Amino acid sequence: MSITLDQVTKHYAGAPVVNDVSLDIGDGEFFVLLGPSGSGKSTLLRAIAGLSGVDHGRIALHGRDVTHVAARKRGVGLVFQNYALFRHMTVAENIEFALRVRHMRAQARRQRRQELLRLVALEGLDQRLPAQLSGGQQQRVAVARALAHKPEVLLLDEPFGALDAKIREELRRTIRQVQRELGITTVLVTHDQEEAFAMADRIGVMNLGRLLEMGAPHDLYSRPATRFVATFLGAANLILARCTPDGVQMGANTVAAAERPPGVEEREVVAVVRPEEVEVAASRDALSSAYLARGVVNEVVFTGALESLRVRLEDGAQAPLLAQANGDAGASLLVTRTRHEQRGFEIHPGQSVAIGVRRVHVLPTPLSSFTACAASAALADALSRQPLLAELAERMKTRIAMRAEPQLGVPDAACAADSPFVGTTAIASQTDCAQRAEWLLRRGAKDLLVLPEQAAVPQRVLIHWMGEAARSATLAASASALRHLSAEAVYVGIFPEQSASAHPQHGMRELLDARSEAQLAHGLEMRTELRFGDVAQQLARRLAEAPAQMLIVGVAELTRFAERFRGLLDGGQWPVLIVYRGSP
Amino acid sequence: MSFRQPSVLPGFGLTFGFTTFFLSAIVLLPLAALALAAASMHWSDFVHVVLSPRALGSYRLSFGASFLAAAINLVFGFIIAWTLVRYEFPGRGLIDALIDMPFALPTAVSGIALTSVFAQNGWIGRYLEPWGVKVAYTWLGVTLALTLISMPFAVRAVQPALLEVQRDLEEAAETLGAGRLYVFRRIILPTVLPALLTGFTLAFARALGEYGSVIFIAGNLPMKTEITPLLIVIHLEEFDYHGAAALGVVMLGISFVVLLAINLLQAWGRRRHVKAAH
Amino acid sequence: MAAALPAALAGDATRPGQHTRLHSLVRWLFIAVSLTFLAAVLLAPLVTVFVTALERGLQAYLHSFANPDTAAAVRLTLTTALVVVPINTMFGLAAAWAIAKFEFRGKSILITLIDLPLAISPVISGMIFVLLFGLHGWFGVWLREHDLSIIFALPGIMLATMFVTFPYVARELIPLMQQLGNDEEEAAITLGAGGWMTFFRVTLPKIRWGLLYGVVLCNARAMGEFGAVSVVSGHIRGLTNTMPLHIEILYNEYNFVGAFAVASLLTLLAALTLVVKTLVERTGYRRR
Repeated sequence: MSITLDQVTKHYAGAPVVNDVSLDIGDGEFFVLLGPSGSGKSTLLRAIAGLSGVDHGRIALHGRDVTHVAARKRGVGLVFQNYALFRHMTVAENIEFALRVRHMRAQARRQRRQELLRLVALEGLDQRLPAQLSGGQQQRVAVARALAHKPEVLLLDEPFGALDAKIREELRRTIRQVQRELGITTVLVTHDQEEAFAMADRIGVMNLGRLLEMGAPHDLYSRPATRFVATFLGAANLILARCTPDGVQMGANTVAAAERPPGVEEREVVAVVRPEEVEVAASRDALSSAYLARGVVNEVVFTGALESLRVRLEDGAQAPLLAQANGDAGASLLVTRTRHEQRGFEIHPGQSVAIGVRRVHVLPTPLSSFTACAASAALADALSRQPLLAELAERMKTRIAMRAEPQLGVPDAACAADSPFVGTTAIASQTDCAQRAEWLLRRGAKDLLVLPEQAAVPQRVLIHWMGEAARSATLAASASALRHLSAEAVYVGIFPEQSASAHPQHGMRELLDARSEAQLAHGLEMRTELRFGDVAQQLARRLAEAPAQMLIVGVAELTRFAERFRGLLDGGQWPVLIVYRGSP
Repeated sequence: MSFRQPSVLPGFGLTFGFTTFFLSAIVLLPLAALALAAASMHWSDFVHVVLSPRALGSYRLSFGASFLAAAINLVFGFIIAWTLVRYEFPGRGLIDALIDMPFALPTAVSGIALTSVFAQNGWIGRYLEPWGVKVAYTWLGVTLALTLISMPFAVRAVQPALLEVQRDLEEAAETLGAGRLYVFRRIILPTVLPALLTGFTLAFARALGEYGSVIFIAGNLPMKTEITPLLIVIHLEEFDYHGAAALGVVMLGISFVVLLAINLLQAWGRRRHVKAAH
Repeated sequence: MAAALPAALAGDATRPGQHTRLHSLVRWLFIAVSLTFLAAVLLAPLVTVFVTALERGLQAYLHSFANPDTAAAVRLTLTTALVVVPINTMFGLAAAWAIAKFEFRGKSILITLIDLPLAISPVISGMIFVLLFGLHGWFGVWLREHDLSIIFALPGIMLATMFVTFPYVARELIPLMQQLGNDEEEAAITLGAGGWMTFFRVTLPKIRWGLLYGVVLCNARAMGEFGAVSVVSGHIRGLTNTMPLHIEILYNEYNFVGAFAVASLLTLLAALTLVVKTLVERTGYRRR
């Protein structure tokens, strides 16, 4: 491996900007770190270059641990966003700088410089000052300068940001060509997905300091695992659907999924439909793909090669639910059509059309949507505006439904609504909260989010499960939740007091197992802590230690639930996500 | 949080150490001597020196003339800055460079030159004489000298702010039908107001401490044309160190208040700016 | 500054409605008021300096420098500047590096403290050294016992001058270095350069124009300082009289040609300072 990152974490002003990133980049690979601004990608690149230290974790270049090696001794080539050419030196002096530092002879320096200038196609400009060059030429000089000392790794920090589209494309080709010619391992940071697709052997998508997913461009585009990647890499329609044995049920109609998601149980999922996978036709019979619903065309925009449409789905119980809609009436399905399709069926705004879906991809994420549940509609409405819940729904691009249960918490009372609980149910944290939680869990709620009135977005998430049956689901829910939070994950292992002396290594063993399962199965990096004593008591104590924490707790049985959790839930100042999976 | 955020650049210990050491040795230690000298005085002695009629007279002149000079510069500083920023005319570059002259020119030179220009037989003084206006050796002369030496501070404070008044804001206002005066009153003035006030305060602070240029043109009559810094020098020449230190502490205290005012004004200006940006 | 301003912004003559009589009247009024004010307050005194100095002819002007006291004053001023300016330059570089390149707590306090001498009356600046080293000062007795003199001698003049001109280089460099950023230094380090090499090969050339102006300004203020030096010098002719102090003595003796001749030298120095400043601004390196 050329570059190995192991649990790299970097904090700034208390909040993690790079959060537990582990990554292997192979020899000669062109790896692109893609993410919106503020996602931590540039910080990660600077950490690899040694320009910024890490708070935790390990960085190795070609097997050599360089975590504590100074930038000048790492032997990497870094190209800066704004070139950072030495403005008072000529092109020749700029390129030879690294060689001069290494006391190379003038003759050899000149030879290497000629070689590099040829490589970036800038022969003859040796004696120019940077100010006399165009932006594109300056960036070529910056690349040549970074390559002069034959670094083992080339790092590029948004190298095309300041250039116009045409030069950008030309430079992209040059850099790709140089990279292939030299076979040098390269990491490029960008926020431009088109650039990432064009250049990368492999893309790693970052958001909120986490490396969410990585893979070949094509795989990431067609099989994203997270909402963020699905919507950041190109446009996507997110639809709340049910996963059934027959396929993906959206509204009244069922479409076969591209690949079956894991798990057999029927549950709510998030389906991704790319705009180019949507088909529109005059009638249901004219569709060549699976029928989804009818809709009205709101908007037609001509964009050159493609035409893009916004189609509003017809209302009614049969209609599929758009995840992004979040209650407002304006949401509509995005559709793009090629010239060929346009010629076959011309469309005008206001037209009613039948909608079909060619390909559906189901996200493996267990957190699909939220339902704010309270004793009255007014209370449920108030809960749906709770800042943390609203923020989470916004970040997860999903909707918050409302549900009134007048009998909430009354023992032996039945549910008011006969529809099942779907997605994550949210309730307010109050005095008899533990009892209400048990009431809901016993009536079919699987994932339950308990929200105090003033909870902020957490900076640390504590994870714990009671009972092996809940283990996998808890880890999956944690991984999903943490993708949307800029928070660090900590697994808190708790053992009864007396076992402390008896089997200390047994406890450690369990912690490490939990950590490696989280990493392997869910891509979740987490730290571990070990405590002894009563579970609920220890968790409550740990939560009270610092502000801005959240708890995700897995539960496998509901015996004496309210009693056990009273101290943790009733009037607590922290949000708690309860994941209930009973033993089969 | 640690004292310093980590950085890849070397040399923090060396440069920070040298900076703080040198600062302490050259600036802070001597200033502490001043505070201690004043503190070692008996309270009644302190009051006696600080509130003596001669001292009070010098405050009146120092503050009055400095305030007047700063006010004059508020007006003329704005006009000059506006002219330099908005109008193109021959010699503009030269004038722009000359603005800093009083800053680079030794104060003694300004003093003797102003005195000879505004003396009764001087180039300008001789034309003022028939009108009964005496400048040299009166409080007018003091004000004039202070106006000259504090002028660059007022102009340079306003100039960048005027440059920053974005033309497109004005143009937007004009396309919305606003007249020139209205644009000036509602767009330009509010934007440069914090800078104007900063310029005023800077000029005032600078004028308050001025010594070199004033003593030549002032005449230095006790109670009439004697400024506070001169009174300090007189105390020193009589080896009355405590009296000098007491007056020095009073002046320093006032300078600090003025500095504080500058900082608050700048913070206010920044806040307005930030708000406007949102 | 205004000189670097695009012409389009300054004189937008092609805009309709800008050629009204009122507009051009306002324009000329502003220019006239500015020029008159500057002519009376600034230009007239400057011209007076040279006119008075040359009043009795070039011979008398040059002759006034032959006076041994005048020559001694020039020497003393040069010696003082020669010691003070390099020290303050070194301080300015160190302070600017620490402040512009690093983030640490108490930075704004440090900047305020560096600016402190600018806010203090020169008379007080001189006085504090008298309080420390004067006959009745803290170290006065000790100094006398060891037969050392600081006040009314060269070291006192240098200390007072150093205090007064302390902030100039640092003030010039801090905003400049902050504005130029750390990219080039970081690039040098990833290319393998060490700290000193980065400083001498990358940072110093980068800030050279701003540094030059800071040094020249510091020098002008050091040579021209009056108030602070006046308090610590003791005005001993031929020994502790700097040029500005010598001007005062000549002037009070009604030797106007002599006074203005020395003044003309300092005025030329100030003019040179402004020329450097203008040139530095032309390079576009300076802020604003």
